[in-house]
Amino acid sequence: MDAILTVDGVSKRFGGLMALSDVSFAVERGAITGLIGPNGAGKTTMFNCVAGIYTPTDGRILFADGVGEPLNVAGRKPERMTALGVARTFQNIRLFSALTVLDNVRIARHCRTSANFFGSVLRTPSQRAEERAIIDAAMENLDFVGLGETALSPAASLSYGDQRRLEIARALATDPRLILLDEPAAGMNPRETEALVDLIHAILGRGVTVVLIEHDMKLVMRICKRLVVLDHGIKIADGSPQEVRANPDVIEAYLGKGAAHA
Amino acid sequence: MRGAAHTLKYLLLAAALAYPLLPFRDVYVLHVLVLIMVYMVLAMGLNILPGFCGLLDLGFVGFYGIGAYTAGLLTIHYNMSFWLIVPLAVLNGALFGVLLGAPTLRLVGDYFAIVTFGFSELVVLFLTNEIWLTRGPLGIPGIAPISLDVTWLATLLGVDERWRYAFRGEVPYYYLAMVMVALVFLVMTRVEDSRLGRAWLAIREDPMAAASCGVNLFAYKVIAFAVSTGIGALAGAFLARWTLFISPDMFKFWESFLVLCMVVLGGLGNIRGALVGSAILIALGEVLRVALPKLGLPAETRFLAYGLIMVVIMRFRPHGLFTQVAESTMQSGLIKDLRARIAARRTA
Amino acid sequence: MLEQQLVNGFTLGLIYALIAVGYTMVYGVIELINFAHGEIYMLGAFLTLSFISMGLPLPLAVLLAMLAAAAIGVLLDIIAYRPLREAPRLAALITAIGMSIFLQNLAMIIWGSRPLPFPKQALPAFFSEPALTFSDVTISWMQVIIYAVALLLMVGLNLIITRTRVGTAMRALAQNQTAAALMGINVNRVISFTFALGSAMGAMAGIMVSMYYNTMYPTMGYLAGVKAFAAAVLGGIGSVPGAMLGGVVLGIAETLGAGYVSSPYRDGVAYAVMILVIIFRPSGLLGRAVTEKA
Repeated sequence: MDAILTVDGVSKRFGGLMALSDVSFAVERGAITGLIGPNGAGKTTMFNCVAGIYTPTDGRILFADGVGEPLNVAGRKPERMTALGVARTFQNIRLFSALTVLDNVRIARHCRTSANFFGSVLRTPSQRAEERAIIDAAMENLDFVGLGETALSPAASLSYGDQRRLEIARALATDPRLILLDEPAAGMNPRETEALVDLIHAILGRGVTVVLIEHDMKLVMRICKRLVVLDHGIKIADGSPQEVRANPDVIEAYLGKGAAHA
Repeated sequence: MRGAAHTLKYLLLAAALAYPLLPFRDVYVLHVLVLIMVYMVLAMGLNILPGFCGLLDLGFVGFYGIGAYTAGLLTIHYNMSFWLIVPLAVLNGALFGVLLGAPTLRLVGDYFAIVTFGFSELVVLFLTNEIWLTRGPLGIPGIAPISLDVTWLATLLGVDERWRYAFRGEVPYYYLAMVMVALVFLVMTRVEDSRLGRAWLAIREDPMAAASCGVNLFAYKVIAFAVSTGIGALAGAFLARWTLFISPDMFKFWESFLVLCMVVLGGLGNIRGALVGSAILIALGEVLRVALPKLGLPAETRFLAYGLIMVVIMRFRPHGLFTQVAESTMQSGLIKDLRARIAARRTA
Repeated sequence: MLEQQLVNGFTLGLIYALIAVGYTMVYGVIELINFAHGEIYMLGAFLTLSFISMGLPLPLAVLLAMLAAAAIGVLLDIIAYRPLREAPRLAALITAIGMSIFLQNLAMIIWGSRPLPFPKQALPAFFSEPALTFSDVTISWMQVIIYAVALLLMVGLNLIITRTRVGTAMRALAQNQTAAALMGINVNRVISFTFALGSAMGAMAGIMVSMYYNTMYPTMGYLAGVKAFAAAVLGGIGSVPGAMLGGVVLGIAETLGAGYVSSPYRDGVAYAVMILVIIFRPSGLLGRAVTEKA
């Protein structure tokens, strides 16, 4: 398997609590991988370790951009992970709500642009060209998620589903190779969820690998090629949706002890 | 409506430009107007921290003092030209900003506010006690006024004269202050509508999301602090060469509070608001100073009223007068262009 | 010499501790740096003076001044801070500074801006006499009284916080305001009680300082307030035992610093402590770190 991301024996401890213990799995390049598990299983903690918000207590996280050798990126700062090509969305939407939809996405071009204080004040030709390119890239990403026409509205004025899409557009505007979606369908109605499925496939079509955390099992089973199941910080299963669905440990984790035999 | 607001703006600007030339001009009014402009520069500088980055700075005046003393000392000891002093004072302010900011900008919320407060009080204590350098509480009198020496231009033109203009009275300072406000305003609006300004606003709105967009929080906060403190020092350098006397008393906590009030009254993060807030609060202070004794109240009531007015304003307008952030962004040509494109798409 | 400095520093430290407790308790429940707390301390001294000049005996005057200060603290919260609970933090902070300026200038208008002595005739004569003398260390009766009163108030406060229903409610509020409200705690009443307690203790500190140094002036609250706040930070903001410890440590550090290092920078000790503690140990001696609330 051509793995874009390899999580190798990662543990994360908060005080006395082991949020993740010795978790290992690989994410296949160009596919959709689902990270599932009951509440409190450590899924978002895993995302935060990959995205650089947390430094794992132990273990390696290898990121292979497809060109060079895989890099151990455990403990790198979030902005450096973004620059490397790992983007993410948040479980509880974190938009820059006082700003416009466009500005939310323009900020995401930060790591792909370089104008500094002096360039901005003097409005040098290169700075102006860069600003134009930022708007074009932002609009391209907004159109991609279908929000192009709302570009100049305040981000806070969008509907809940659109706010989730805006977060995805913002993440995509960083030009990632890997995108981590934390419960993208949460709070969406069935119609919005359908549109999301199309969007996720379109993201894949752009050559971006997708990892998602999701509670909607129907959705997960339908679109993910592989699933990784966490429970209490431990990986209990890993495989295709069919394999995972048949795994007694998974059924037990979701439905309680004894359910697998019922 | 928009057109009327524009007309009003230009009328005000024209009136401000013309006022010192009118026969009924008043030295006191000119002085107050220059003071307002000094505070406008301070307010625009401070606005970067709480307004753009969401960092509460309670010690801004410390950098104003550093700028003023840099200018004052360089003037009395080396008789240095104001035009040379300005960049040095700005750099010195920014340097102290980075020195204080680097270890403290990782702190969150009120902790940062407390450190900045402590620092500015230490600056005052230093200025009061290091008598060998600053003459202590006596202050530094007799600072030379600004002069503009363009003899080099005369030489260049082959004229054998000394072209030197010394600032006297309020009028030249008035125009210089206008230039200073205009320049800082230009810098601030351009920065606001740029990669740097967007990164700052992202930090204010949500630091974690900002980092996920690739913004190095620490680096951008340090830049914010350096720019902000540099602008504070610029205002200080002007102050020293305008009032021609500086003392530690002029840089006490009260001043930081005043500037913060201007920024909050104007609306955090709104550059225009910082200008309006400065004008209102300085004018209010002067009105109180004149009006209260006429009502038979002791002079202290001025500060009493000031404190009370701030409380009332916060009670009824906690978000300030202008709540819009990134205003200059919305007025930029690129965005106007985009608006037209989107409108065209909608009709198509 | 050193011993005498320690004694004087300890006395000063207890005063700081009494004020610091007010800052830390208020910060604990509403996360506001109550800048006007220093003015409550100042008002404690002046109110006592006024009550004595009305002919009241000292103990009654002190008691009334504490009660009045408590009432002022509660009113301060109700009138100025309560309407801003949902407003941006800066609005509340500016209001606090505004109230501090207001109260300071109000005192100037009422009592004048010149320092006033504490009415000597109201104090028992033995107050200024030495209570204990070991070789070259002297502890005056005034100092003994400061020790006793501070100790009494702090033990009392600790009992209130740990043993009473309202104390438990205060601690619950400091943990999580929403949850506390859901548990049926009357949040506003508990906050008022916190202000009352903190203000009464701050006022007592002001009264004792004005007796100890035999002077009071309307701006005395600023520096004392800042130093007490530094003490609260040193102890760990939000922690009541921390504020007490922080006050004593700061008082001693300041006196020793002034005596052995540099006396002009005496006031700088508090600022330096504040900055260094925050940079190197933001949780203070006994507190928990302030973290950004999401």
